[in-house]
Amino acid sequence: MKPLKILMVLFAFGLFFTGICQAHTPLFSCFDNGDGSITCEGGFSDGSSAAGVAVRVVDKDGKVLMKDKLDKFSEYTVKKPAQEFSVIFDAGEGHQIKVPGKEIF
Amino acid sequence: MKKRIAVLVSLISLTLSAQTFAHFQLIYTPDAALENGGKIPLALVFTHPFDAGHTMDMGTPEQFFVLQTRGENPVKKMDLLDALVPISWQSLTNSGKAFKTDYTARGGDHIFCLVPDPYFEAEEDSYIQQMTKVIINVGGIPGAWMEPAGLPAEIVPLSKPYDRWTGNVFQGKVLYNGQPVPGAEIEIEHLNHEPLIARNAFASGPAVKAPQSSFELQTKFADDNGIFTFGIPKAGWWGFAALGLDEDATHKGKPCSKDAVIWIKAVDM
Repeated sequence: MKPLKILMVLFAFGLFFTGICQAHTPLFSCFDNGDGSITCEGGFSDGSSAAGVAVRVVDKDGKVLMKDKLDKFSEYTVKKPAQEFSVIFDAGEGHQIKVPGKEIF
Repeated sequence: MKKRIAVLVSLISLTLSAQTFAHFQLIYTPDAALENGGKIPLALVFTHPFDAGHTMDMGTPEQFFVLQTRGENPVKKMDLLDALVPISWQSLTNSGKAFKTDYTARGGDHIFCLVPDPYFEAEEDSYIQQMTKVIINVGGIPGAWMEPAGLPAEIVPLSKPYDRWTGNVFQGKVLYNGQPVPGAEIEIEHLNHEPLIARNAFASGPAVKAPQSSFELQTKFADDNGIFTFGIPKAGWWGFAALGLDEDATHKGKPCSKDAVIWIKAVDM
């Protein structure tokens, strides 16, 4: 393959992946259910599902307290930890969101 | 003298006509795009939004519900009719019967839909029924904002109604019984006096002053597919009312204007 063709293919791939990144901003929000549990909702800015995306509850040192995947409704309900914690939505590199427990109302 | 009377009658008729056309059913909440969920206030007021003028008495609505929709999840419908509390809303010229409620919103789109009780307009010996929608979003994950809500008369947004910057355009499609309405007449008003929802009243000061009455109530027509486009000149809430979508509609034996209303909010960059 000539260098020009390789460049063109690389350029096309670059455009393709840029498009994907821009079109799929991850979004993640958590709410206090008022019954000792929290529910977190994940998704993407284009409305596509986040079902199956990994979620982790970690303490202030990053130690994993609980881990699971978002359900078919892109939701995760879990008992609220007594200690300081954060919930992490992990859809891969560049698509991680951390919600501190103190910001969950 | 006869000529003077004729001119006077004509002027009164024009005035009444202008007032009639400026009726707008409002579903008001302060923000359309919220970062966090929580309790939000809603006020249902039948009024003249540009000048915060005469506010009409609302009867108990036929329907008031919300469609909760987030991502690809199924749409959930929640009836809000029983949650409405009657209030008296103070305009700059009178007070009118209205309704209020609080609603707890979580992530996604919340499509509020109102089918009001038809309002009897005595001067015209006819009824007005403005089926009204407002769509808010929490957290940014969109839902089915672009889908019809199933109202008999409705404006379906073709532009995301809660992501408009000032200067963007807003596009909508006018439907009656699910079918596009070619050439539908659309009136547009800015919510020019801030609703003070805690006081059930409009703020007395306007956001802008119109240089002439034509600017208070803008008019345009949908195209052959029922689609219209509007360039948004100022931040805030804008109401779009597609009027008289069924010429044959009646209520209690009198003509009834079946209108579709949608409100959107634009913000400055």
